[in-house]
Amino acid sequence: MRLSPSTVFAAVTCTLVPVALFMVFVYVPTEADQGIVQRIFYFHVPCAWAAFMGFGLSAIAGGLYLFFAQQLWDDIGYAAAEVGMLFCTLVLITGSLWAKPIWGTWWTWDSRLTTTFILWLLYSGYLMLRVIGEDSEQVARLAAVVAIIAVLDIPLIVISVRLWRTIHPAVLITRSGEHGLEDPRMVQTLLVSMVAVTLLYAWLFWLRLKTLRVKSRIYQLRQTLASAQVTEDATS
Amino acid sequence: MNIALAEALNLSVMFGLRSVLAEVNLRLERGHLALITGANGAGKSTLVHALCGLIGPSAGQVRMFGQDVRRLQAQDRRRVGVMLHRSMLYRNLTPRENLEFYAKLNGCERASEDAARWLERMGLSAVGDQRARELSRGMEQRLAIARALIGEPELILFDEPFASLDPQGTALVVDLLQERLARGAAVLVTSHETVALKDAEMESYRLNSGRLLPAGAEANRRIVWRWMLS
Amino acid sequence: MLAGLRFLLHKDLTLERRGGRVVLELCVLSLLVLVVLAIAYGPEAGGRPASAAGALWVALILSGLPAASLAVAAEHENDCIKGLRLSPLEPSTIYVAKVAGVGLSMAVSEAALLLLLVLFFNLQFDTNLLRLIPILLLGALGLAALSTLLGTTTSRLRAGEMLLALLAAPLYVPELIAGIKASTAVLGGSGLTAVLLPLKILAACDLLFVTCGYLLFEYLAP
Repeated sequence: MRLSPSTVFAAVTCTLVPVALFMVFVYVPTEADQGIVQRIFYFHVPCAWAAFMGFGLSAIAGGLYLFFAQQLWDDIGYAAAEVGMLFCTLVLITGSLWAKPIWGTWWTWDSRLTTTFILWLLYSGYLMLRVIGEDSEQVARLAAVVAIIAVLDIPLIVISVRLWRTIHPAVLITRSGEHGLEDPRMVQTLLVSMVAVTLLYAWLFWLRLKTLRVKSRIYQLRQTLASAQVTEDATS
Repeated sequence: MNIALAEALNLSVMFGLRSVLAEVNLRLERGHLALITGANGAGKSTLVHALCGLIGPSAGQVRMFGQDVRRLQAQDRRRVGVMLHRSMLYRNLTPRENLEFYAKLNGCERASEDAARWLERMGLSAVGDQRARELSRGMEQRLAIARALIGEPELILFDEPFASLDPQGTALVVDLLQERLARGAAVLVTSHETVALKDAEMESYRLNSGRLLPAGAEANRRIVWRWMLS
Repeated sequence: MLAGLRFLLHKDLTLERRGGRVVLELCVLSLLVLVVLAIAYGPEAGGRPASAAGALWVALILSGLPAASLAVAAEHENDCIKGLRLSPLEPSTIYVAKVAGVGLSMAVSEAALLLLLVLFFNLQFDTNLLRLIPILLLGALGLAALSTLLGTTTSRLRAGEMLLALLAAPLYVPELIAGIKASTAVLGGSGLTAVLLPLKILAACDLLFVTCGYLLFEYLAP
């Protein structure tokens, strides 16, 4: 039996996600200051990573699409942004759930939150363009340009938002330069979670890409059919 | 001297799922006129757009001066004169300013003299300083033709140049084209009717829902003479 | 390139002088936004630099995006943009000229905007207003560069103006934040040091948008 890549992705992801869940809920010790709420951190950080990865991938695919004008790159860019958007939404939701008991509010205009939210807005614009604009080459090109500028714009958004104060915890790299996870089991859990979410991202991305590829292929076949019919009409 | 200034090689264009041009092969040579006739929607305008590189082919290629039209150098773009269905004129500039602007775009040294000369030639001197929006359709067409020719192009692609022109206007444009053909320009003209050009090497084609078919030079000449005699 | 820029810009300015609507649209729309915000803030907003700076930048972005659409759409009338694309000019030259034209229109309307701001928000006519000028010019340049680039495609789409706003506004956020910070500081009478970082962000954004437009415009023009 030949295994398709998506089956492999699915199998590995379906094994690793329960492992990660087990580690998050059972294996890892509860953090002393924040208590049980802190466990959401092991979803929050990997989701943020997946969101950034998706948007980066979308921008790279956009550049390649502009350069080579191949439908494949457009499909990759679209799929990457769409799945990235999903994880960006999860980052905002998990962050909000954590913030309510810890900060006493669902949302605050903190720099890190604002940056992420603007990122979310950027890609909601991108997806709106894909939905409202027709399936045309010019829309695909504009989407590619937007993805490229957006990724380049992110550092500037980060710096500009820093003009405001931040209360977001700096866990991964603290001011002293070390990570703030005191227990080695916390590091292990975070790493496993990262890998699990990355795989989940890859799997979803793959499924989405496959759909888009099939769509492109169908469109291409219909085009061939249409041009064949014209040839027939003209010669008969 | 049969050097093709422009050629379409198996050119196909699709708009979405609609095939507009299918495997068109065409050579435009110095001193030759290619006349493309066809009904509305046969793909005449698309052919002109694709030839000048405004529409990318879905298959095949357009070569101009020996290179891919989409990678045409700036100095070669100057050698092409294109007239499309819409006039490309700025409605709030005067005809004189429009011509001067496009002359400068094409790098003419003496733009204002050129503009004045073309206004004179097209019989537009009297309206040269009104706004272009106030021109009648026929005058606008004359101005659009002058706009396309002001850079003295070697390759001329005209989409329906005779539309909305009066008989004098038609005769004027025929004269202009013949003058350029005699100087070795290659000309492509689309029209929904046959036109009269004498003493010119003319190939006549018919576009039929995206397919380019030779209309037969002899048959066409007969039509031309009949048209001129009538 | 410079010669091309000169007569493209000359053409745009002539058109704007003769019944162009870009400056008019900018002035009227920003007046409207200022009035709405002044009403929303209430009388106590008078003399508060933060409110005035916020209103200023909201007026700039809300009037600037449709204005850029309008300026780009003018080039599509009679398919003039095709004439430009067929000419020997490089696409990047066409882009830079259009940005200069739109930016200049924004700069003119900003002068009017500043005057209205002083009246509505009860500010002082003093040298602080002069210090706002470079900040506003940087902001206008970035907005013009971004909206001209994206507007080239969106003006050919259904619901194009809305899409332009959806795409351009989040990208413009760093300029918006930095601009508001810098304007607040300047109106509050702070020194150069408080304005330096925001100014750097504004300049960096302008550089980014103009460079991206310069390089990517040819993929978006028809």
